[in-house]
Amino acid sequence: MTSNGSNGNFFMRGSVALSALLVAGTLASAPAVAQDKYPSRKLDWTIAFGPGGGNDIMTRTIISIMEKYKLYPDKIVPENRAGGSGAKGWGYVFSQKGNPYHITSTSGSFITTPLQANTPWTATTFTPIALLASDDGVIMVNGKSKIRTFKEFVDQAKAKPPAIGGIGTVNVEFIVPKLLSERAGFKFDYVAFNKQGELTTALLSGALDAAMSNPGEVLGLLQSGDLRAIAYTGKKTPKALGNLPTLAELGYDLGISMPRGLVMPPDVPKEAQDWWIAAMKKVVETPEWKEYIEKQLLTENVLYGEDFRAFLQKTQGTFADILKKSGAIK
Amino acid sequence: MDIFSNLLIGLSVALTPVNLAFLFAGVMLGMVVGIIPGFGPAAGIAILLPITYGMNPTSAVIMLSAIYYGSMYGGTITSILLNTPGESSSVASTFDGYPLAQQGRAGPALVMQAVASFIGGTFGVILITLFTPLFSLVTRSFGPPEFFLLVMMGLMTLIAMIDGNWRYGVISALIGFALGTMGVDLETGQTRFTFGSAEMIGGIDFIPIAIGLFGLGELYYVFYQGMHLEGAGIVQYRKEKRFWPEWRDYVETRFTVVRASILGFFIGVIPGAGATIASLMSYSLEKSLSPTPEKFGKGAMAGLVGPEAANNAASSGAMVPLLSLGLPGSAATAVLLAAFLMWGLTPGPLLMTEKPEFAWGLIASMYLGNMALLALNIFAIPLFVLMIKLPYRILAPAVILICTIGTYSVNGSMLETWLMFAAGLVGFFMKLYGYSPAALVLALVLGPLAEQSLRQTLTISRGSFGIFLERPASIWIMGVTVVILVAGILLYRKRQ
Amino acid sequence: MRGEGTLRAGFLLAILFLAALYTYIAFTELSYLSSAGRLGPGFMPRIIGVALVAMCALSLHADAKHRGAEHSVAPGWRSAAVLALLSGVLVALLEVLGGLVSMMVFMGAALWILNRGRPLQNVLIAVLLPVGTHVVFAVWLKASMPRGMLPFLS
Repeated sequence: MTSNGSNGNFFMRGSVALSALLVAGTLASAPAVAQDKYPSRKLDWTIAFGPGGGNDIMTRTIISIMEKYKLYPDKIVPENRAGGSGAKGWGYVFSQKGNPYHITSTSGSFITTPLQANTPWTATTFTPIALLASDDGVIMVNGKSKIRTFKEFVDQAKAKPPAIGGIGTVNVEFIVPKLLSERAGFKFDYVAFNKQGELTTALLSGALDAAMSNPGEVLGLLQSGDLRAIAYTGKKTPKALGNLPTLAELGYDLGISMPRGLVMPPDVPKEAQDWWIAAMKKVVETPEWKEYIEKQLLTENVLYGEDFRAFLQKTQGTFADILKKSGAIK
Repeated sequence: MDIFSNLLIGLSVALTPVNLAFLFAGVMLGMVVGIIPGFGPAAGIAILLPITYGMNPTSAVIMLSAIYYGSMYGGTITSILLNTPGESSSVASTFDGYPLAQQGRAGPALVMQAVASFIGGTFGVILITLFTPLFSLVTRSFGPPEFFLLVMMGLMTLIAMIDGNWRYGVISALIGFALGTMGVDLETGQTRFTFGSAEMIGGIDFIPIAIGLFGLGELYYVFYQGMHLEGAGIVQYRKEKRFWPEWRDYVETRFTVVRASILGFFIGVIPGAGATIASLMSYSLEKSLSPTPEKFGKGAMAGLVGPEAANNAASSGAMVPLLSLGLPGSAATAVLLAAFLMWGLTPGPLLMTEKPEFAWGLIASMYLGNMALLALNIFAIPLFVLMIKLPYRILAPAVILICTIGTYSVNGSMLETWLMFAAGLVGFFMKLYGYSPAALVLALVLGPLAEQSLRQTLTISRGSFGIFLERPASIWIMGVTVVILVAGILLYRKRQ
Repeated sequence: MRGEGTLRAGFLLAILFLAALYTYIAFTELSYLSSAGRLGPGFMPRIIGVALVAMCALSLHADAKHRGAEHSVAPGWRSAAVLALLSGVLVALLEVLGGLVSMMVFMGAALWILNRGRPLQNVLIAVLLPVGTHVVFAVWLKASMPRGMLPFLS
């Protein structure tokens, strides 16, 4: 919890602290909302991770866009509430049931953390605002490998099960190869790594046959030819990767990716949800947002309101299914 | 491989006013951290981590690294003046440093330690400059099998770290291993020992543990021993005594410095072996080579110069596996690694090519840092002597306060703050009964690495151990390990 | 004094108890092999747990045998206990009184007990050090600082 020092008026901070004290927090803010036109108060934006991470950068980008174009009439205060793979921050937003002055950004752990721990919420309990982009990956092989195309990779894999590496297990980097192997009909061994450096080195050293990774982390090595990308897992390949085919184009439309979007606490008024959907429609059209997507090598993937909830529902279902089969969760 | 031009790039990074300022702040803090007994670089760097939030990554890492090698200098001042090593790596410096001070030669001893530390440190940095690029090239062929073998090499040196009661040493390491298994199992994604709590998914962070064990625990112990009471610790430093060393002090120890620097650096490079082992080995090496071994322990200058040059060279050497592999060799370098990662700088074979301005900026700053430390250690000695006189009963609560707030501010977690406090209590009893907190922390860091790399290896090889013999790089590592083991045994025999 | 040896054994027994619990969980909840037939999540914990329990038992046995000269408790045990207790209180107060006030309370109490007879020096340190720390961490660095339960204790 960052102390926000001198800003914000004294009275307001008092009521925030008090509402936290009253566990559910429903008492504190509900009456105030009914009278005014939404939005008319300071907004608390929870970042469920520490400063400097992907979630933090996206949130601060959106806030600066909203400030530049004067989309929000009052102050927006970002708060890093990090801990427990997002459980602390999202748990806090969940406890603000019905309060339209709280919002938070999602990332991969939004789906996976509730599957791993006893959280009172899941990805679909929140009020969905918008999916703005998704984190997708490249499937790649060592630059010295004989494999040049995805088709060659699948043919090889059918002959001899490959070792495919990725970061973590309860993660899209395991789920995508798993779904892929079921569709294409090959077997493989998944090797989980903790850090990108370890994964990249293992692939470079020839210990792995292939790896799935975030493209931003390996762009330099892909361009230098040390690694070779054979497919992109998202809907649309980022410019920096050239004409790399997507899995959908290759005939494997998996529709699985890590959601980068916005949600509000459960049961906020429809009025607030609509306001935010309208605001986000403006944000995604700004050049600053386009630049952010391009720089971070994200896939533009926009869904609003209930469509976003349906997307979360589907992703969550697929994850739970595969992870139960592999024994990761019970 | 154009080392010279790279070094120039590094210097241009290190010489910016901002980076110079942080470098100087770092070496000053390092001296302070080194001087306070029971408060080492591991806890020092960990507490100062949140302070670096607002900085750019290069400045932050330059400062934190300066704290690390600066503490090697500071730790010796109390060894000489109080017979209390500020760090475990300065233990060997008490053997002859304190007798020298008792004979009224505190001034020369302090100057000689500064010079020896400077030569050892700088020699180490020169070798880093030459070796790290080479090492990075070699480690590009390292995958999980090689990583596993290197971690095992590091774990073997754990044995050398354990002194006193070996059963307690093994128990300490096993506790570290056990704590390391908590959280999500990387390979299967299953949670282990989390009791359903989301806060435990990430496992036990070793930073609060290190702050607790090395910060609070050691302070409680120092208090328990009554060091805070009036009159404890006699400062032998007096101004009227001859301050500068005599010419023969330099002449007598000229080969000692060279030997100790080389020995120290290569011990430092071995993952897991660190400055403490290097300084102890250098001490026994010098004693066995000396024509007058009976003088050792009674104020032999070589007995002070050797360990000092060695521990500084080793602290440089430890940067090689840290930068080129991301493999820490001690609690302090493990914290440094955590700092690198926090800044999105993943050490490994790719660091040198992908972030050259960072890697070379850091290396260049180490040359400058050692120079600053030499000057500080000669001209600011009265200042640090003043600090030693600061009463412990005031210093200790202040340090505890900073430990607590520092731990909280890393993640804003109450759980971690309680964990740090608990580690402090446990650390006190460990110290009191002769367990090894250092072995615990190192095992906590290396244990998960060993488990992961072994399981990754066996997944890749589909369960066969033969993979270790199929890859040239792993055969090389096994060869080197055997050489080190044999050399270690021979050296141990000679000491007996 | 006979306290020291008993305490030493007590510390070891506490480790043994936790080690036994750890081992129990490792054997009952974690499987030796993964579903893919590779080394599973229980592989290392089982080895570590068994080794830890065995080493504790061995040490208890060895300590009981070599129960030579008992050390008496060192002179500073009272101050060490006070310091430990106060640091626990500091942690407990953090999110009740907030960072700044808890630090002042802790520093004031510690100095009042450990540095008796210098009230002016103590008050000065107990105010200035926490304020300085607060300024460095919360204001200058914008790092996380614990907030108190009441609104004015930020």
